[in-house]
Amino acid sequence: MNEEVRKESGRSGAFIISARKRKFQKIAKTAGESMLLLIASFVAIVVLFIFYFVAVDAIPYFQLRGFSEFFTSSNWYPAGEPGEFGALAIIYGSGMVTLGSTLLSVPMGIAAAICLSDILPFSVRQYAKPIIEMLAAIPSVAFGFFALVIFAPLLQTHGGPILMWVWWVLAAPFLLLAAIVIADLITAKIQDQNSRERMSKVLLAVFSVGALGFLYWVGSVLQGIEILTGTNALNVSIILSFMSLPTIVSVSEDALQAVGRDLREGSYALGATRAETIVKTILPAASSGIIAAVILGVMRALGETMVVWMASGNSSHIPDPWFNYLEAVRTLTATIAGDMGEADQVTGSARYHVLFAMGLLLLVISFFSNLVSERIVVRQRKILSGQ
Amino acid sequence: MNVGTRKILNRSFTAVGIGSIVVMGIALLIVIVPIIYNGVGAVFFTGTIEHRNMLYNEFGEGDEAELAKQNAAAGVYRKEVYAMLAGFEAELEAMESERQQEFRSKYGSVRNALTALMGPLPGDTGAMLTRFKYGQTRWEKAEEKLHEFLYEAKWDYSDPDAMAKEYYVSRAAEFEGTSLVKIFPYVEKHLEEIMRPEFTIYLGFLTDSSVDSHIFGGIWPEIQGTFFLAIGAMLFAFPLGVIAAVYFTEYAREGLFTSMLRSANSTLAGVPSIVFGLFGLAFFINTLGVSESKSVLAGSLTLAIMILPTIIRAAEEAILSVPRTYKEASLSLGSTKWNTIMTVILPAALPGIITGGVISLGRAAGETAPIIFTAAVSVGSAIGLADVFSSPTPALSWNIYNLASEHEAAAEIRHVQYGMVLALVGIVLLLNLSAILLRARISKKLKG
Repeated sequence: MNEEVRKESGRSGAFIISARKRKFQKIAKTAGESMLLLIASFVAIVVLFIFYFVAVDAIPYFQLRGFSEFFTSSNWYPAGEPGEFGALAIIYGSGMVTLGSTLLSVPMGIAAAICLSDILPFSVRQYAKPIIEMLAAIPSVAFGFFALVIFAPLLQTHGGPILMWVWWVLAAPFLLLAAIVIADLITAKIQDQNSRERMSKVLLAVFSVGALGFLYWVGSVLQGIEILTGTNALNVSIILSFMSLPTIVSVSEDALQAVGRDLREGSYALGATRAETIVKTILPAASSGIIAAVILGVMRALGETMVVWMASGNSSHIPDPWFNYLEAVRTLTATIAGDMGEADQVTGSARYHVLFAMGLLLLVISFFSNLVSERIVVRQRKILSGQ
Repeated sequence: MNVGTRKILNRSFTAVGIGSIVVMGIALLIVIVPIIYNGVGAVFFTGTIEHRNMLYNEFGEGDEAELAKQNAAAGVYRKEVYAMLAGFEAELEAMESERQQEFRSKYGSVRNALTALMGPLPGDTGAMLTRFKYGQTRWEKAEEKLHEFLYEAKWDYSDPDAMAKEYYVSRAAEFEGTSLVKIFPYVEKHLEEIMRPEFTIYLGFLTDSSVDSHIFGGIWPEIQGTFFLAIGAMLFAFPLGVIAAVYFTEYAREGLFTSMLRSANSTLAGVPSIVFGLFGLAFFINTLGVSESKSVLAGSLTLAIMILPTIIRAAEEAILSVPRTYKEASLSLGSTKWNTIMTVILPAALPGIITGGVISLGRAAGETAPIIFTAAVSVGSAIGLADVFSSPTPALSWNIYNLASEHEAAAEIRHVQYGMVLALVGIVLLLNLSAILLRARISKKLKG
């Protein structure tokens, strides 16, 4: 019986292997593994190639025109004779829409991430997640189309009232909340409970009236604003913020989930409310992961092309005053996309290479921010697993 | 702080969190609903007789006898209009030269407005472009053009500080005292008889090619181009991505080299999409010369590089989520590592890998920036499968941009633009939805 089994297996070669065959298998294994390694390092090769080929086409620009014009002048006349290639206003425009979208998306994204990880019950979360996934899936050109065809005319015709409504809806609850907290903090030192409550109510009433007046004043100023062009930095910032939200939400939710239950339970046991637990315990513990999320969100906004190309107005100048979000701007990505069509025919001129210089600038920024965010995530993982 | 205040703060904190998710949901609706509503209007709309004539002449669709009957019925009223025009022309000839000069230019603009509404008039020279061969094909557009016919738009520049305001002047008043005055109430009253609006379902919007750069016809070349590009990208990226994921999860030893590879992967994921376009132009076209200029092949290769990191990550996650026990059982039965991977791990991870692949397919279909310099053309017919190596193609994403911001009649063809956006968003969201459903099924299965 035993003998038979051995014979059987010997014939099929599954269990008993001759020395020659083993050698052959070893060679095949090494060859296979190095093949796998080669394919896996394909990504690294591609990254090197991207840097090399973008840089090779970018360097001729700097050889032709030097560094100073690109970074210090804001005269962008690539088609002129001779052309001028001052990209300062374009870099500024990129920074402006990125900053604007970050200011909108970061608070909202972190709040949504907290809500998903700590507040909503599991059954509701399952319905909230597809919203974020769908926002992430909508192609950028569809967002750009929305910004150009629907949102820009709306801003142009009803810009003032829209701004006023947004101000009221966003600011009113926060100011009321601030009034409550300040009234409470001021009266906290009063010992007698009755007089403290009375004092706090009086203060609350005073603060509320003040807040209402402030709300009304800013609201009427906003309502009076006339937006001359709907394709401006504000429009783009709002749309970009919705595009970078999914990244921020999902990465910071991961960071929040990585903070263990024990920290949360410890905080609750000490009598903290959920808000206090999150703000004072969970957020500090997850802070590095959230910073990484913010960096990735910023990169998403900075690297976006179609929305800014379609809806930013593409006007290469620094707005006046410098923080005026209601003026048209131009960004690096939109300039590359828009000018290549004309520059294409004159490969070899400064006009062609300056676009690669812009690409190189974007590439370098994205490379370093990626490196930083990765380091941060690795460090956080080490700290959390060490505890 | 007092307990009451702490409670209020706690509740408002919750409200802020829920509020931000609600804002995201509302934003999604605000973007999606007008696109769906207007996009559906590209297929379902009230079409005029001009639409049916255009379909018959350009695509050979429709019933000839029925169409002839309708044309005859509309012709009765149209003849009346033509007669009024002819009457006024005769009157114009008889006027003294000064009045004639004044009325001639006004009459010219009336004629243009009427041509835009109901197609070429008798006496017009043959139209060079197809767009001038037909009147308005859609009823709501016809009503717009009727307004332009009845009223002349003028701009008020009187206040130099404010923006110029638009105001309308009735053309009937301008022609007071001439025989042409009758034509305005007549066309207004009989517009339905002249244009014969009918509820139309134009499924050809998805399957016809475009006529005269999207003024008429459908978007098939774009849909096909999008599929070619996305599927081409998957053909390159999917096998490479899965093999790389197998290496990372099963073979890679933790060390400097592996962490460098991983770092390269996340760097690639963070590269702005327009830089991929630059790279595709500089490397695939100018250096390798995979094609003389833009081509589907160059575009697919560029997109493949772009979606590679996503596929690798998804495949890695799918492989890591296969229970260790599967692998151990297979190894303990004497199977080799490679055999285990091929027969146990990959089949178990396959649904997860496919989910990642489907999402990447959607991303490749929706991306615009990488194909601007490598594959996309604004105007073109559908290309054959044999041409993918050499010729560029129109694609949904690029043509949405092109029609919305560079087309010379962008405001006239909003319905085509919306239709294209809906087609693209529909393709991408359907792919994502199927991925979500697939994932839900897998997690159910894994739970047992």
